[in-house]
This record gives sequence, C-alpha cells and structure tokens, in this order.
Amino acid sequence: MADFSWNVQSPLQQALVPGRHGGAGTQVGVTLEEVRGVSLVQVMARRGRVAETIKAAKKLFSVEPPDTPRAVSGRNATLIWSGPDQFMVLSARQTGDQFAKLTAGFAGVASLSDQSDGRCLIRIAGSGARQALAKFSSLDLHDSVFPAGAAATTAVDHTAVNFWREPGSVDENAVFNMLVFTSFADSLWHTILDSCLEYGVQASVAHAA
Amino acid sequence: MRIACPFCGERENGEFTYLGDASPKRPNFAVDGGESPERVEDAFYDYVYLRDNVAGVMREYWYHGGGCRSWLVAERNTVTHEFISVTAAPGAGAASAVRAGE
Ligand SMILES: [Zn+2]
Repeated sequence: MADFSWNVQSPLQQALVPGRHGGAGTQVGVTLEEVRGVSLVQVMARRGRVAETIKAAKKLFSVEPPDTPRAVSGRNATLIWSGPDQFMVLSARQTGDQFAKLTAGFAGVASLSDQSDGRCLIRIAGSGARQALAKFSSLDLHDSVFPAGAAATTAVDHTAVNFWREPGSVDENAVFNMLVFTSFADSLWHTILDSCLEYGVQASVAHAA
Repeated sequence: MRIACPFCGERENGEFTYLGDASPKRPNFAVDGGESPERVEDAFYDYVYLRDNVAGVMREYWYHGGGCRSWLVAERNTVTHEFISVTAAPGAGAASAVRAGE
C-alpha cells in the first residue's frame, strides 16, 4: 500500500502562478491575490437570540456585527454580513484555537461553523478591478452604491460568493474581497484571471496579517 | 428583471427561485378533533394541489438562493411582471417561526 499523508495546501496550488500576466508591456491594471492563513467562522444567531448574539460579538470584537450588508473591522477580526442575523468572522490564523474561543463566546446564543478550510479568500484591486469584476459579477460597484465597507452575498458563475469592499479602501485604491468555496476556487480563479488579463495582472500569494 | 431583496437590495433575477402562491394556508385540524376524513382530505387536496391562475397582482414566495438565502414574499403583477413589494417571509433570519402559509 502506498504511503499516505495529509498535506495542507491551497485550492489554488496549481491555478495561481505568481507573476505578471497579460496586458501590454509592464502595465499592471489589476492585482490578484490569494490570502492564505485565514481563520473563518460562520456565526448564525439562534431563533429569538439576536440581541444576545450582538452582545457576545461586541464583547469579543469591541464592535457590533453588521445588521445590513457591510463589513466592519473589529478587534483582530473583520465581521462580514452574510444574511439576516448572521455574519462571518475573518481573522489571521493563530496558533491558539480560534474556533474554540468563539464557540465559548457565543455559547447558547448562536450556531457556529468553522469555514477556515472551506473557503478561499481572493483579493482584487487596481485601476482595472471594477471593469474586470463587471464581466463576471452583476453587482453595481460604483462608489455611490458600493462604498468602502459594503458587502454582498451574491453568485458568480452560479457559485455562492461572499463579497465585500475592504473597509477604508477609497477611490482607485478600492480593494475587493471574495470568499469562494474551495472546491470552486480553481475554476473561479481562471474566470477571474481571464477577465483581468487585458488590464495586465500581477498575481501573488499573500498571508493574513 | 431585477428584484429588490429586503436584505440585500436590488439583484438580478437569476439569483432568485420562484416557488408560487403565498396564500395557501396549511390546514390545521386538531388530532382526533372529530373532523370527517373526507373533509380533512379535501382541505389537504386543496392546500397541496389547487392554485388560482391569477392575471394581475398576486403574493408569491421567492427564494434568494444566490444571495442571502432568505425566503421572501413578493407582490407581483403577473401581467406586467412589475414587483409592487418584496418583504421577508415570516421566520426569516432568527425571527420567530410561524406555520407555513400566510
Ligand atoms: Zn437577499
């Protein structure tokens, strides 16, 4: 029998080729990053326990979770709206057990699900980012409709995506984040990269800070 | 066609799934309440199978599966496809659940 061992690896291990792609000359209109080393937890308030869930979140992150499609920065985490009375907690993967910590904090008031290895975080920025996104997303990303900190649960290529614009990222420096299911990440990466090629792409791997 | 989800805002209709008329109420007979089996069966037959074919404004269930995954109730004109209102179905999010039907 062949030896078998578990290796943690990115779903973009093959698809993501760091470096410059497409465009003309050295122009870089879009930066594409996969952000590795993230901890991601889905939090859903239990029936009739919304007020307690908000209180627990405030205690853990010093900020109220968003009750409209927004992403808010809290202590060591970003809270991203993912539906009525639910949100995702994104943070840098730590040595301690982040999930156990949250489970204790939300005990009895919200249901949690660890999605750290279930989703892949892709970050898109640059002057051509909006135009590239328009090819595969039906969201209106104009500043007046989708300002910094705006979020959406939407579908890209018939695949569920948690989408948000980095809080505080303004004008041509707008940064867009996409959480996609790991099993669809490879396929979506190709869709995204192809959409960005004409603007010139710098692809890289980043690590959550 | 765009549908205004009360939670997400305006989205393309491809993110939504249509269920149908929101008006049928699930019959609620007490166990051993003395109703005749025929009456119970008729009421369930009506609830499960019989639908009005409305030409005009009707209340319908829609599901925002490509978005916030909430059930919604929309008032839509079946002749013009105009959406008059879209609201959360009872029990959306962590709100108290209620019996099926409005
Ligand atoms: Zn929605």
